[in-house]
Amino acid sequence: MCGIVGYAGKNSAASVIIESLKKLEYRGYDSAGITILGREIKTYKSVGKIVNLEAIIPKEIHGNIGIGHTRWATHGRPSTINAHPHNSGNPSKISVVHNGIIENYMALKEQLTAEGYKFESETDTEVVAHLLHKHIYENPDGNEAKCELLTGLQRALKEIEGSYAFAIICADEPGKLVLARKDSPLVVGLGKGENFAASDVTAFLNYTRDVIFIDDFATVVLTPASVEIFDKEGKIREKKIETIEWDFEAAEKAGYEHFMLKEIHEQVSAIHNTLAGKVSELEGEIYLEELNMTEEEIRKLSRIQILACGTSWHAGMLGKYLFEQLAGIHCDIDICSEYRYRSPVMDDGTLAIAITQSGETADTLAAVREIMSYNCPTLAITNVVGSTITREANSVLYTRAGPEIGVAATKTFSTQIIILYLLAVKFALSRGKLSPDYVKRFITAIRKVPGQIQQILNQQESMKECAENFAHVKSCFFLGRHLNYPIALEGALKLKEISYVHAEGFAAGELKHGPIALLEKGTPVVTIATRGPTYEKVLSNIKEVKARDAIVIAIANNTDTEIGKYADIVLTVPNSDELLSPLLNVVVLQLFAYYTALARGCSIDKPRNLAKSVTVE
Amino acid sequence: MKAIILAAGEGLRCRPLTLTRSKVMLPIANRPILEHVIDSLEKNGILEIILVVGYEKERIMDYFQDGLNFGVKINYVEQKAQLGTAHAIEQAKKLIDLEDSGFLVLNGDNLVEPKTIADLLNNYKGDASLLTVRMEDTAGYGVVLKEREKVTKILEKRPGDISRIVNTGIYIFTPQVFETIEKTPISENGEYAITDTIQLMINEGKTVTSVPTESKWLDAIHAWDLLKANAIVLDPAKDLRIEGEIEEGAVIRGKVAIGKNTKIRSGTYIVGPVVIGDNCDVGPNVVILPSTTIGNNVSIRSFTEIQNSIIMNDCRIYSHGQISHSIIGSNNTIGSGLFVEEKDGLLIIMNGIIHRAPRLGTIFGDDNRIGNSVLVKAGVTIAVDCLVESGNTIYKDLPRHSVVL
Repeated sequence: MCGIVGYAGKNSAASVIIESLKKLEYRGYDSAGITILGREIKTYKSVGKIVNLEAIIPKEIHGNIGIGHTRWATHGRPSTINAHPHNSGNPSKISVVHNGIIENYMALKEQLTAEGYKFESETDTEVVAHLLHKHIYENPDGNEAKCELLTGLQRALKEIEGSYAFAIICADEPGKLVLARKDSPLVVGLGKGENFAASDVTAFLNYTRDVIFIDDFATVVLTPASVEIFDKEGKIREKKIETIEWDFEAAEKAGYEHFMLKEIHEQVSAIHNTLAGKVSELEGEIYLEELNMTEEEIRKLSRIQILACGTSWHAGMLGKYLFEQLAGIHCDIDICSEYRYRSPVMDDGTLAIAITQSGETADTLAAVREIMSYNCPTLAITNVVGSTITREANSVLYTRAGPEIGVAATKTFSTQIIILYLLAVKFALSRGKLSPDYVKRFITAIRKVPGQIQQILNQQESMKECAENFAHVKSCFFLGRHLNYPIALEGALKLKEISYVHAEGFAAGELKHGPIALLEKGTPVVTIATRGPTYEKVLSNIKEVKARDAIVIAIANNTDTEIGKYADIVLTVPNSDELLSPLLNVVVLQLFAYYTALARGCSIDKPRNLAKSVTVE
Repeated sequence: MKAIILAAGEGLRCRPLTLTRSKVMLPIANRPILEHVIDSLEKNGILEIILVVGYEKERIMDYFQDGLNFGVKINYVEQKAQLGTAHAIEQAKKLIDLEDSGFLVLNGDNLVEPKTIADLLNNYKGDASLLTVRMEDTAGYGVVLKEREKVTKILEKRPGDISRIVNTGIYIFTPQVFETIEKTPISENGEYAITDTIQLMINEGKTVTSVPTESKWLDAIHAWDLLKANAIVLDPAKDLRIEGEIEEGAVIRGKVAIGKNTKIRSGTYIVGPVVIGDNCDVGPNVVILPSTTIGNNVSIRSFTEIQNSIIMNDCRIYSHGQISHSIIGSNNTIGSGLFVEEKDGLLIIMNGIIHRAPRLGTIFGDDNRIGNSVLVKAGVTIAVDCLVESGNTIYKDLPRHSVVL
């Protein structure tokens, strides 16, 4: 889980790369480094954020070719020595940045050590630098290249097992850098007289919108004037240029103190965008044109298997309720990293739905590859156009939330849910499970959601005040039932992620089967108590909690006059269709987590130990 | 040249619409007033904009972001306490280069056209320059006294017929103004007013000039002034585009713009100038007459007639409604058979002062739920988050969170 960047062009490579690394900082930020190729290879590294690196790079550094890296440690602790780039040769001939994991690095390391290479770092990446050096120069003291960098790379890749996106420069081949990819994201940006490479398009969107997504096993030669792509056999390949419509500028904080708060607020317009053109109120129709399934195929579905991690997994849990309750399709949900190893039982009528914000989540991709090996049709729900999952799944539904920079997912969660609602109702319609009138009312209700979220945002002061009062508690519990059980889990996850308060979400009915032992005097218990079939049950859960002297913070409808009698604090949401209440309740919990973290002085957009898209397994 | 736009105030006199957003975000022809201002700056090549925000700043920041979609670069500074215009300008000091020859200051809630800005840019001189318009009725406006082009006295809003030359609040200052701002005394209202700063400059012998303009400058003082502004802006509106779908049998006359993914269903009759936003569902058999603006994600059902009104985002208006000369805030759900009465020359009392409104129906703030068959008497307003059950007649203003059973 790291970010890599490469640049070849007319401008100062150092400043372009630093700029790009800052955009990638969300991928990891325990250390960073840069190599600039001028007359010779010059490498600079530092621990901490990119600004620390920027401070140690001399102003007068020249060079139009360079690579950079921002790291989130997997092998070896965060330190200057373990930071990338890793070099080989004395003086340095080869410099490598890497995102991914080399699985056989121990074996390679032993072999290279035996051949005289000296290792400085504890990383898996350093073996790649030495391995390349060996293939090009044949021994550690060799100073004359025996083959070209590209040829050397292609030979070295045959020995490497694992996942990687590499950017590499060689002192003896000035004016170019080479790239390679397997199972880690890599994208090339095409400028005028300059070209870019990065783990994520956001790195260079300030410079160009024309990009090429690099496929697995491809190698690339990048010069200021050209981009050449080679396949596994070393044959030159055709380039498929795509244009990115996103504004990365839109991903600047625009006056907000944190991306997270900005993105919470953006849910109003994000949901407008997700719904645009997909629903028709009067006809009671749902249009999902990207869905590659015929009515016949939808009717034949016997089972849905949802695969997701983290926040997306919570969205998927809600999806399970929806597919079963509305469409009457048996639905299972698994955490991707578990699914791969649990010998799934498959049948013919299964549809796999993979949910991943980035489309690059390594665990999710691995699970999708596993399930696709059973010939199971796969549908991806993702936010990133052109990401790896979009090229592997049979069909893709985009959440259209726009770039999300805050590590804690907010608007991508609510738009994922919107897609799941639409999909469940669409399946229900095709299978004749819902009356057209019900669907019409559902569409009217879902079209009200953006306005209702704005209504919650208008009263964010009440969430702020509540969060400030409880910011210094040791732990906090979240209760929900039915559709709001996944929302309780999500509320707890948000609080954990950004405020580091110990938080747990429980199904409210499960309380008495164990968790109730954890309750103490003064422990805040956030309980979702909006109107629905389980409302009465939730009220009795609130009484159970009150009886243990814990403090109940209830989320309830603004027309609910009862709840004030039982709960200590009531945070209100507008009246909505019961089915859609999770969409409103989650906004309250997002704001609660945000303001708790703010009151505790936490680094909200870049919480410790976390990274935005988890591209390692 | 950089521009500082003052956008921190609420706009008390535009309540209930400003209970949930600041006045600069009130829509005219489906764009916030502030967007018209920014657009006029952009057309004059002023691309670096400093927005001084405060009240409901999130709404402003959510909409304009970094300004890229509007062709400008926006920096935000927050005025935490609303202590007057001079104080607001002072908040932006760190973003103004003291070596610059001058910078522009204007209000985010006054509608201007590109030529208005150009008039000042082409004719400014001295230590400060201000743009003026001539008006017959100056009640509620600040005015100036002058000798030739030099301003001799500048006065804030006050009664009395002293001068017909109205101060638009659009200025060009040299960065030295910050020195005078520091010396500006607090006024009787407890504010640091930029007009007091300018008076201080005049007293110190600095050159303050005025530049007259006849180009468009509109100050929507009260909420109902928006209707007039909307009509004025819609009338000459250019490049109106029909991007949505119009079913066979719908009639579109005059200048009409229809946004993306919007559906105009059969039997609907629209007479421009009318602007309808994105993702709306209108009809079948709806009548929309001039000069009407309808926001994004709005549904309007059969047999409803809307005339000379502003309907903001996320509203649902059910069948058989009659809405005329009215402003409906965002996220209102309005049941079938809403009837809005309208009248000429209403006298409306706000904070003990009587105002005369032109022809007016009603004004709804945001987030109200109105039942079926509700009658709203002319000039009555419904604030925010009110619930009106079916069959009621609303005779008097409803404050926030009212419930009418």
